[in-house]
Amino acid sequence: MELTSGSRVAVIGGGPSGALSAYFLLDLARQTGIALEVDLFEPRNFNLTGPPGCNMCGGVISESLMQKMAAEGITLPRELLLDTIDSYVLHTDSGAASIRPLHDEMRIASIFRGAGPLGAESQSPLPWSSFDRHLLEMAKGLGARHHARRVRRLDRDGEGRPRVYVQPLKEEAAESGETERLFGVYDLLIGCVGLNGAGVRLFEALDFGYRPPKSDRAWVAELYMGAEEVRRRLGHAMHIFLLDVPGMKFAALTPKGHYVTFILLGDDVNEEVAKRVCHSPQVRELFPEGWEMPVRPCHCQPRINIGPPVNPFADRVVLVGDCASSRLYKDGIGAAYRMAKVCALTALTRGISAEAFREGYWPACQEMDRDNRLGHLLFSMDGLMRHVTLFRRAMLMVVREEQSRPHDPRRLSSALWDTFTGSAAYRHIFRRALHPVVMWRLIAAMIRLLFSFLRKR
Amino acid sequence: MLFDSEKPALGREFADGEVILHEGSVGDCLYVILEGRVEVVVDDGGPEPLRLAVLEKDGFFGEMSLFSDLPRVASVRALGRVRVMSVDKRGLLRWLGDDPTLSMRILLKMVERIRLLVSEVVRLRKALREQQGG
Repeated sequence: MELTSGSRVAVIGGGPSGALSAYFLLDLARQTGIALEVDLFEPRNFNLTGPPGCNMCGGVISESLMQKMAAEGITLPRELLLDTIDSYVLHTDSGAASIRPLHDEMRIASIFRGAGPLGAESQSPLPWSSFDRHLLEMAKGLGARHHARRVRRLDRDGEGRPRVYVQPLKEEAAESGETERLFGVYDLLIGCVGLNGAGVRLFEALDFGYRPPKSDRAWVAELYMGAEEVRRRLGHAMHIFLLDVPGMKFAALTPKGHYVTFILLGDDVNEEVAKRVCHSPQVRELFPEGWEMPVRPCHCQPRINIGPPVNPFADRVVLVGDCASSRLYKDGIGAAYRMAKVCALTALTRGISAEAFREGYWPACQEMDRDNRLGHLLFSMDGLMRHVTLFRRAMLMVVREEQSRPHDPRRLSSALWDTFTGSAAYRHIFRRALHPVVMWRLIAAMIRLLFSFLRKR
Repeated sequence: MLFDSEKPALGREFADGEVILHEGSVGDCLYVILEGRVEVVVDDGGPEPLRLAVLEKDGFFGEMSLFSDLPRVASVRALGRVRVMSVDKRGLLRWLGDDPTLSMRILLKMVERIRLLVSEVVRLRKALREQQGG
């Protein structure tokens, strides 16, 4: 069971994992002399502002993804970039610390997944472009055919080849009265349906026992502040908040030109929790005086992948991206990039049977899932930081000391940098955070703080 | 728009003529050209450095020292304003291990360079023969 010239591939979903799956599949097929036909189904119009044109996420491209893409020859045009990030500022109830990398170049960018926040359409033509549309255009540039059609049902023909049924166009429905229409029979079906739509149900209904990963919800809002205010108050820094606010795990403010993206993660986060965070002195300090959260900001509550999937592949079918294995909390786009590539490589070099995906694709999923378990452990330590003042202050003290020494290896700073930027695997971050020098500095800082506290008493 | 200072840009900018990497230095990263052009030059003892190549957007340089600890064999200078992004050796070697297609892409670029160098040697030898013959 393998792909040969003339094989047909259907990709359901045109977000980063879908567009990149099509792109890498066509690119690798071209290199190996195989002519594939790739149909990509994505009904969303990335030229629309607000949630209808957006695949809903914080919209930050990590340092490692940016470098990987650059080495691959994929560079992002400037019109995609809303801002570049040169540092992170960690805000806690005990003060703040700025974390800067050791290099002096811009490697992290903020982007809009769609055409931007609701209301931005008034500035026509928009001064930026959609990131997702750019990736889709890259796939189309290699020959992928984009169909702006909603997929209604999937099944298999008598030979086990996947069939894709789409929602008929209005005129087709009026003419025939049908509620779904067979679009095509394929050799391979790639599901890149994320977790936010009805797409996962299409694959759950197929015959191979797929179950989507466990998910949580984030709260994301695009807040208008004006470019000058954004630059003056946030600079080129992403601001991370680890505060003792019930319901929140962490929050972040990302500069995006005239806008600031507010991201909130936690257990059951909602607008109420968002308002509580926005009213905290640490967040208020960054907003203009008297600023209030708009009554209805452009916001969404996307589902985020927090666990492994069950059976994300079968003969001639494979799932990629958030609906399968993705990176916990950070760098979902980087995870989509990596898994799309592994999927394409597996399909072209090992074949498209369940066995081929088990040997070629599944180990990469398992590796990511194992790394995410360490990520869970790392993020569960945020409680230690949010609730134990002594630890929090010691950590800030060590970070400030590291940042003030130009030749320091900055182990704790770089571990925090990579945690917030999503630029390294959690296992590498863990190794750096648990380095004996970091441990010793933290203990020494705690002893110093205790002594100074006792002296004051 | 190229070099619109109002718009955010990735990487680091170099001014015209600025040396991005020096011949003889030990490298720990590869550079990718995001915008503009660079020239690869080597000091052959002549009055002007010998230009080996001109590289453009999406081209990369500095890859040879990633795979050996030997000093860089040529310098690279900006031709006009240039933006480049560096890719750290440690990260790149890790990704090369994980991703055979990335290794293949870098290998193909290096093969392309060897091919250009071979044709350049042939051209020079032909020119020399003609000069001696004439």
